Formats: sequence, structure tokens, C-alpha cells
Amino acid sequence: MRDPVTLAIVVTDAPELHSRLLATLHAALPRVGVLDPGAFACDLAGTEDLLGAPARVARNVLARCTLVGARASAGIAPTPFVARVLAERTPPGEVRSVDDGRAFLAALPLDVVPVDPKVHEELRLLGLRTVGEFADLPRGSVFDRFGSAVARAHALARGEYGDMVRASAPLRRIRARRAWDDAIGSREQLVFALRVVVDEISAALARDGFAALRLELRLDRESAGPLRIERTVLPPTREAAALLRSLRWALEERAELGLVTGCALEVPEVEAARGRQIGLFAPDGAREEEAIATARYLRAKLGKGAVLRARVADDSARLPERASEWVEVIA
Amino acid sequence: MARIEGRFGVHALARGHTSERHRSELVIATKSSLDRVIGGGLVAGEPIAFVGPPSVGKLQLALRATASAQAQGGMAAWIDPTASFDPLAAQRANVDLDRLVVVRARGTGLALAAAAALRSEGFRLVVVDVGDPAFGGVNVDDIAPALSAVRGSPAALLVVAGERGRRLAIPTFVFERVAWERRFDRTVGWSFAVGRAHTSDRALFCVTSLEGALADLGTRADLATVAV
Repeated sequence: MRDPVTLAIVVTDAPELHSRLLATLHAALPRVGVLDPGAFACDLAGTEDLLGAPARVARNVLARCTLVGARASAGIAPTPFVARVLAERTPPGEVRSVDDGRAFLAALPLDVVPVDPKVHEELRLLGLRTVGEFADLPRGSVFDRFGSAVARAHALARGEYGDMVRASAPLRRIRARRAWDDAIGSREQLVFALRVVVDEISAALARDGFAALRLELRLDRESAGPLRIERTVLPPTREAAALLRSLRWALEERAELGLVTGCALEVPEVEAARGRQIGLFAPDGAREEEAIATARYLRAKLGKGAVLRARVADDSARLPERASEWVEVIA
Repeated sequence: MARIEGRFGVHALARGHTSERHRSELVIATKSSLDRVIGGGLVAGEPIAFVGPPSVGKLQLALRATASAQAQGGMAAWIDPTASFDPLAAQRANVDLDRLVVVRARGTGLALAAAAALRSEGFRLVVVDVGDPAFGGVNVDDIAPALSAVRGSPAALLVVAGERGRRLAIPTFVFERVAWERRFDRTVGWSFAVGRAHTSDRALFCVTSLEGALADLGTRADLATVAV
């Protein structure tokens, strides 16, 4: 089994650099989790052969953070909690490491333990002043008196409870591009050719569990500058048909496209893909969304009162206008 | 072939028999003798036209086809430039009105609506009822720009018109009234025949005006067999 080693990186003076720091850490290390804004935990277990000793890794990471403009401090410990506490007590630009987390925490004041202020007060009334005194309490008694949350903090104080680093996947650019030897002059041919690119994008979205919220299409043209098209996809989807339909409508809005020699399609904004109800016995039940999207498009083109759904209000009415009601498909 | 695949992807080319194998999944059968006359039913990705004089029964069969398309689990679009769609008649023909989108578009909007519905992959059937130009209908040729969207579409296109179009070259089935049915000196219904102009086989139907019900009488060949 791998020995647990956690590197904590803490930046206190520049919280606005959080996202840039996260990207920097993602580029340097395999498993990076976010503890708080400006506080990161990196699981270094098993990486020594590949990346070098943890202290060396920490110095490299601090150097990268400096390039971003952040003055960070690093702590190396067996558990994320100890590593973070250590990093918070280390001057910026320096690295400190401890092997025995419990011994390191023992002398620190009780405020370090992450519990409710009321519990802090109660522990002080019991005469406890340091983390070590709190850690020496019997585990069962702490659980019985204060409950599971304080029992968890008690385990942290003993340096035993290793919170897993919840690593988030680094954001990847989801894009695809194609270049064609013969320029495409027809809109229909272009849509057909874009189908391949959209399929690739759809597969990438499916792989990461995302749905596209925004599309950016760049068309390289033979005798003119690149044509850039932006589309917002609502509702967000990763269905190739829906993405292609959105692009098709964008292309149809342009009177002249010119001779297209290549394209680059990118998804700059995504959100987590949501499930949807599919009619179990209806083979095309899932296509209803497509139909509604078409109705929305036609309403935008044709105006109010053009895309309707009928309902029979009274099948025995004498006047035909009272027999049925018409409602907009898209309100 | 390699060049086409390199340009448009490996799915751009398919052998003919592959399409044939899936043809049965694309057919919208009306479960009437009309299916035998039109070759099994309406087919997704193919256009078809019902042409005939007013009040002969074109819309009755179009509604029946719509109900069949919905019965297969899909939605249907009804392009209605004359705003003459009758929800009550549709309901009597077992059309699910919740899964029918009616689009009232004229002029260039007519072709736009038909093309958008055919391309959307959300519909199984797109019906365009152009009406009779003599009674406020639009010219059937107005939908010609939408025909390029039919091929490859998961929906079938059904055009209901009073007369043939000059620019519209699609399989056309002609509706002819056969006889009026009279009882006690009152007209209580009529029968009509449907078929291609250059063939002799016809599907025969009878409409009773009391209930507005459509009765399937079989094909002309069937009736000849019975008579013998």
C-alpha cells in the first residue's frame, strides 16, 4: 500500500488567483483537490518515482505559483488536514514537512480544530487548551457527548483521519477541426461535412459527462476572412443532432457563406449533462425535445400565433370556434 | 470512395442493401388498402402528394396517416397556411393533438416551416395542406424549396393539394369521387378512389356524412375478385 503523502498549497494574499493557481497545479500534478478558495491539497502518494521527492515537487510547484504571481506556502504531511495547518503556519515561498501529524498538532491551540464555536467554548469550559489535550480524550466519550461531527474533528486532531483528496478533472478544451482539399460552396454540403466534426465534439462531451452550453464555429474561407459564429444551446445538450441543428440554423441566417476550406468547432462553455426521461415504449419519445426546439425556431421566425397546438374544448359545441382551443406551443 | 470518406467521414457512404434492410422501420403504414396502392405506406425521407377536388377525402386519409405516425411513437407537424385545420375531425381520426404541432405559415414561411420540420429529427410525418387556390389556398409550388430537405429526413412529407404542381415532381396519388350515396333523396355520403394516374389499381373508401367515418372498401382488384 502507498504511504499517504499530501502536499498542501495555501495562498492567503491573492484569492483572485484561485482559478489560475488551480490550472497551474493541474498542469503539474495528477490529483489536485480544492479545500477552500486559495487552499489546495495534492495527493502525492506513489508519485515519488515519477516526480521526485515530495519536497522537491513542492519547491517546483511554489516556483510555478510565483510565475503566476502568487506567494504560496507549502506543507507536506500524511493527511490533508495536517498539511494544510502546516502550510498555513509556513512563511510564503517556503516548504515544511512533518512525519508525525499528531505530534505536530499537539502543541497548537484548540482553534485549529474545525468545530462549531459553541463546541470550542464547551471544550474550553472543560479545561482543554491545546489540540493535544483534545486528542487525548477517549474517542467513544467524544462521540457520545458531542456527536459524529466533533468525533471526526477528534480524529483529525489525532492525525489519523485522512480526508481523501477529491480531485477534480482538469478542464480540457473540447474542440475539433477539419480542413478540406476542395472548398465547399454549398450550404447543404457544408452542413453534411460539419456532421463529422459535431460527432467528434459530441463524443468528447459524452466522455467527460458534459453538455454544451455554447458553441463557437470558425469557418476558414478561400477568398474572405474567417467567419466566426457563436451559438447558445438551450437546453444544453451533447446530442449531435441538436448541436448540428443549432449550427445549421446559424448558417441559414447568413445570406452568403463563400467558399469554405476548413472549420474549427469549440465548446467554450459546458455544464454537467443531465439525464432525461425517455419514453420506454415509444421509439421516438426522446425526439420530442427536437420537435419542441423546431417549434421554438419557427416561432422566432414566423412570429406569435403561427406555431400552435390544438385542444378539443367541447366536442358537442354548436359553434366550431367553441369546439376547440389553440395554444402556443412555446409560450 | 476514400476521398469522400476522408472529406465527409466514414458514415457518408453506405451500401444500398443496408438501407433496404431498415426500410421497414421507416414505413408509416396507414393499415388500410391505401398501403397496397402506395407500396406499403408512407416512407420516411420520401415525399408523396394527395391531389383531388375539394371535399373528396384527402384530409381524412392524411389524418389517418398522422394517427399512424403518432402510433409509432413520433410527433407530427401539420403546416396549415389556410388556417383550416379542424381539431375535432383530427380527434375523431384518432390523432393525438398533444403530439401534433400546427404551423400557420404562408409565402416563404411555408417552405421554411416544412424544411425546418423535415430537418429537425423530431417528427415522423410532416403534412402540408396547401388548400385549394380557388378558396384562399396557396400555390402548391410554394413548397418546392423544401423538397431538398426530404431526402435523409426521418420524417415523411405528405402534400395535400387541389391540383398538381408545375414545379413539384413527387409521387402523386389522385383522389376521384366514385359515387354519391343517397338515401330518401338525401346525400348521406360518398365513395372515392385513390391511386396513381397511370395505373389502374385503386384503393376505395366510403365516407358517411352522418358520422364522418371513413370506411375502407379494399382495392379495386379485391372487389373484382369478390365479384367473380
